[in-house]
Amino acid sequence: MHESLVNLMYGFGVALQPDNLMWSVFGVLVGNLIGVLPGMGPLSTISMLLPLTYVIPPVPAILMLAGIFYGSQYGGAIGAILLNLPSHPPHAVTCLDGYPLTRQGKGGTALGITMMASFFAASVGIVVMIFLSQPLVDLAQHFGAADICAIMLLGLLSGATMSRGSPIKGVAMTVLGLLCGVVGTDAISGTPRLTFGLAELRDGLELGCLTMGLFGIADFLVSVNRTTVEPSHARVRMRDMRPSGAEIRRAFWPMIRGTTVGTLFGALPGTGPTITTFIAYALERKWSKTPERFGRGALEGVAAPEASSHSKTQVDFIPTMSLGIPGDAVMALILGALIIKGVQPGPQLISEHPDIFWGLVASFWIGNVLLVILNVPLIGMWVRMLQVPYRFLFPAAVFFIAVGVYSARNSLFDVGLVAVIGIVGALLLVLDFPLSQVLLGFVLGPMLEENFRRAMLLSRGELGVFLERPVAAAFIAASALLVLVQGVAFVRRRRAVTPRGAG
Amino acid sequence: MAVFSRWTKDHWGGALLVAVGAAVIVAALGYRAGTLRQMGSGFFPLVLGVLLALAGVAQFVATPFARGNAAAADEPPALGAEHAHLAGPVVQWRGWSCIVGGVAAFVVLGAHGGLVPASFASVFVAALGDRRNSVRDAALLAAVMTAFGVAVFHYGLRVLLPLWGG
Repeated sequence: MHESLVNLMYGFGVALQPDNLMWSVFGVLVGNLIGVLPGMGPLSTISMLLPLTYVIPPVPAILMLAGIFYGSQYGGAIGAILLNLPSHPPHAVTCLDGYPLTRQGKGGTALGITMMASFFAASVGIVVMIFLSQPLVDLAQHFGAADICAIMLLGLLSGATMSRGSPIKGVAMTVLGLLCGVVGTDAISGTPRLTFGLAELRDGLELGCLTMGLFGIADFLVSVNRTTVEPSHARVRMRDMRPSGAEIRRAFWPMIRGTTVGTLFGALPGTGPTITTFIAYALERKWSKTPERFGRGALEGVAAPEASSHSKTQVDFIPTMSLGIPGDAVMALILGALIIKGVQPGPQLISEHPDIFWGLVASFWIGNVLLVILNVPLIGMWVRMLQVPYRFLFPAAVFFIAVGVYSARNSLFDVGLVAVIGIVGALLLVLDFPLSQVLLGFVLGPMLEENFRRAMLLSRGELGVFLERPVAAAFIAASALLVLVQGVAFVRRRRAVTPRGAG
Repeated sequence: MAVFSRWTKDHWGGALLVAVGAAVIVAALGYRAGTLRQMGSGFFPLVLGVLLALAGVAQFVATPFARGNAAAADEPPALGAEHAHLAGPVVQWRGWSCIVGGVAAFVVLGAHGGLVPASFASVFVAALGDRRNSVRDAALLAAVMTAFGVAVFHYGLRVLLPLWGG
């Protein structure tokens, strides 16, 4: 405990260095700015700004990425509440009550409550992160290759099956992502794999290229000429954002409960933030004495899911940083950026790169304070950003994507590839496949293969090693249980629903 | 084809997975699979290819066929919450060709014309994909983005692409 506090002080020292602080502030600002734009979720925002991090050292790079991430999360909440447009799936629940509040002229209050709940939840999440990381790392030091494999398996499986839609599709997309990770030269034998004979693919797919194709171009392809979102004319001034005493009292307990839900779910690998917000909302409605108000502008319905998503996000950084296993696609993207910077994620990360880990923790808190300070006076500007029409937005984004992908490896081939990936992604979206699983698979793929090969080498080809080691066995058992539960639920749903197209 | 007319989107999705899975298996068989103890480079992709194909089969089998002649294309995509605001036909030839064309223009002009024409063309072509954008709007937007892009990417971040000429 004492050690954690000393480390935290060290972290503040790192995060407050002028250079690092500058990049962190820059990330928060730009993340918030782009996140407000209609249709720009954290995934597209981070991937578009990813190339920027290639030119700066690892510590400010990761601080900036984290800043972009929570900046765009805050920005996304503004779009969800004022425009009824969730650019980031977890905000879908926020729309349910946030938009009715806007129509009642209380959009400002909803934003104020959101900000309060997010800040509180993030602070709790950060504290949990500070005290939980070290014990987890101490534990993880004893993990062997087989254990890491089993943990990754559970992470991938729960990510695949607990997301939206059919678990089969989730698994299929995870496998596709793992295959994307295979593309390139095999590190052990030197054989080029799945490169279609193209020399440009020998170094593998570039992270930014894949994400901008899947979450940028593909998204524009399914949205062009089809978006029904009208520019918002909601007017929000600074003083509209201050909730009254009664409103704070009403939102207080939902905020606490939402934070608790988010913190608990954050510790489970693979459960996405979207499902967390849905659970927080459902719980709140159940708890309420007046459940009929939900969906018509209940402040509780904004406070609880927003709090849960922010605490979940913070706590998600624990498995991401200490085990190298990201909880959702955004974490996978940040992890991927670290790998590009030459930082190997895993139990050794915190001891080998204390500046990254503790600097990040401290910068979270600095960033969240900054966001509150920034968002209140700048709200008028954010609201105006909401009025940028989609017809100007996507062509500009296409250009940023093209330059961004080019600058990552100075390769025009990659720029062409981003269009191809975009087309494939759009096809998959139309066929209802969840794309974020692809990213998770892509980032974890090489690590999974390496650890699996090593585990097999050490056990002389005995698959039994996964059942002999207690940690591995526990995670394999949990994975099996998950498959069983999902299988049963899937069969039940199939029986309950009449065939589509029948009616 | 009478058989295909009863296929829903999920049947096509399943079939696609099987096709990709099969292609991966064929490719992986060309690498050395090795043994469990000494895995070759083909082992992991082979397993993944089999898994992908199996997922495709599972999805195909688990999806009930549409009754009547409900063609797959008539079904609206059930995209996630972030796409819930979309309406209208999925097929948008103009939008698609302009967005893909915008990226392609960047590649071609990036190789032969330089950053300025590549930037301008990518924004201009992509902007024409939206039905509400006039040629004038598109040109204006392209000009603004090019100026911004040159300032940020050429002078600020020193992207290697020359301003003019390949």
